[in-house]
Amino acid sequence: MTIKFPSVDFFQELARRMEADAAEFEKLGFCDTTLGIQVNGDAPHLYALTFEVFDCTDVRELSSPDDAELDFTLAAPLSLWREMFESIKKTGHPEPAFTLNSLSHVGDQMAVVYDDPEGHDKFYRFMATIQAFVDQASDLDIEWA
Amino acid sequence: MSYYGSTDYSYNSDFNLRIRDIKKGNLDFGWLDNARDTVEIRRRDPRRGLMLEDVEVGDYAVENAPEVVRENRGLAPRGAILAEGSDQPDLGPSLNKKSDVWGYRVQRYWEEAMSRQWNASTDVPWQDMDKYEIPEDLEYAFCQLCTLLSEVEMIATDLPSKWSHHMNSHFQEVKAFIATQCIDEARHAEVFRKRALANGVGLLRASVRGEHALKGILEADSYSEGSVFLHVLGEGFILTLFRSSEFISPTPVEQRMFQLVMQDEARHVSYGLQHLKYLMDNCPEVRPQINGFLDEAERHLTGLFNPDQLESMIVLGGKGTSPKCIKRGVEVVGAFQGKQIQEYFHRAERAGLPERKERSPLLELQERMIAGIQAANAG
Ligand SMILES: [Fe+2]
Ligand SMILES: [Fe+2]
Repeated sequence: MTIKFPSVDFFQELARRMEADAAEFEKLGFCDTTLGIQVNGDAPHLYALTFEVFDCTDVRELSSPDDAELDFTLAAPLSLWREMFESIKKTGHPEPAFTLNSLSHVGDQMAVVYDDPEGHDKFYRFMATIQAFVDQASDLDIEWA
Repeated sequence: MSYYGSTDYSYNSDFNLRIRDIKKGNLDFGWLDNARDTVEIRRRDPRRGLMLEDVEVGDYAVENAPEVVRENRGLAPRGAILAEGSDQPDLGPSLNKKSDVWGYRVQRYWEEAMSRQWNASTDVPWQDMDKYEIPEDLEYAFCQLCTLLSEVEMIATDLPSKWSHHMNSHFQEVKAFIATQCIDEARHAEVFRKRALANGVGLLRASVRGEHALKGILEADSYSEGSVFLHVLGEGFILTLFRSSEFISPTPVEQRMFQLVMQDEARHVSYGLQHLKYLMDNCPEVRPQINGFLDEAERHLTGLFNPDQLESMIVLGGKGTSPKCIKRGVEVVGAFQGKQIQEYFHRAERAGLPERKERSPLLELQERMIAGIQAANAG
């Protein structure tokens, strides 16, 4: 089965996998944040992912960032999201240059957009959970938009 | 022994008679005198178990406690009954006002800290280290970085430990949260020490400048000053340094280590920000004092930008010691430092101190660094 990126289905599949792999995510601990994933390109998309306790409890596509209270948004062009997920596919974990922290730390390839520094700091407080969440895409057959 | 109590219970005849009577089965149930009404406890989210916030009810809730705690100077937990006319010892807490220590949402940070603990022995994939060959110059640079980070972690353990027993026991949640900080920081010192030694190079040069900066944290005159220096200023900078270190890590093993330490660090920063905000909201008269303190603390902090650390980061950032690598390393490290300063100003503004941006000596430092990088690039 192939799954399209970007799409609500894609993130819902990651949420389903997160629930199925409860042991890993319970070990990482409580994760409480609503974050945005923005995919820039000809047809830009913005998704709100809500994490509560050990699960991703809600995935929505937004027409505007004001439609949800986002702690922070990770914004990157489609080509970069693709490179990141293709890197994760190789071994189940990203190569060093493709961790979420590395991609978003230097330069402007992946921006971390935020209003409130406390919301921004949640990216770091829950880094291991958010990284493990995206790493679950390693064996997905992705159809790129 | 430095404390001899006012009563020697082992020779107190009333006490001994009473114990003998109890052993005969004559209970007087005095401990039920003045007991409070029972309370109704509701688990708001069963997935989280029973949270501290769930038991914040009635006389037990910090919201219902007075801003200044006068009646309890011992170890009685908030809500316990103090016997009338009792001779409770005075443990001499100096932090008896809620705004001295409290931070918004501190109970949540405690729960998060307890749930997100990790183990430096088993949660870093040490077994993978053999898979990677790290060039010698990078390994030495990484061990120098670990040396400075170990020093930083020592002070981050000592500052909360130093202040905990000065806090009135009414503020149990804050005492508990800073106890989690102590264990987090002890684990950070552990993981950096282990990593420095893991490939055999070991620890390199301790930092004179850095340690002077860290001494400034420990010597703060009040808990709030120590907290704003450690949690908001120092750990804010260290959080960015951890992000940078993840970025320039030689292998995924070190990257994992930094992903884990940054989570703890960001939680400490968040508590510090919420304490500063609570203080500014509830005790605005201390603003000049905090600003005056930060004027000096920010000067101190520049000690963390010491040459040994800077050089090691440049070697790691540029991935080598050739002139080309060093040039690249200078650029990468310059970008980190600008970010550290900007993120600190954002946090200060959020906590209610927007004036830091105008009065901070860090701005001049940043300008000097930018000029240095431009000169290096031109050369
Ligand atoms: Fe730390
Ligand atoms: Fe810390």
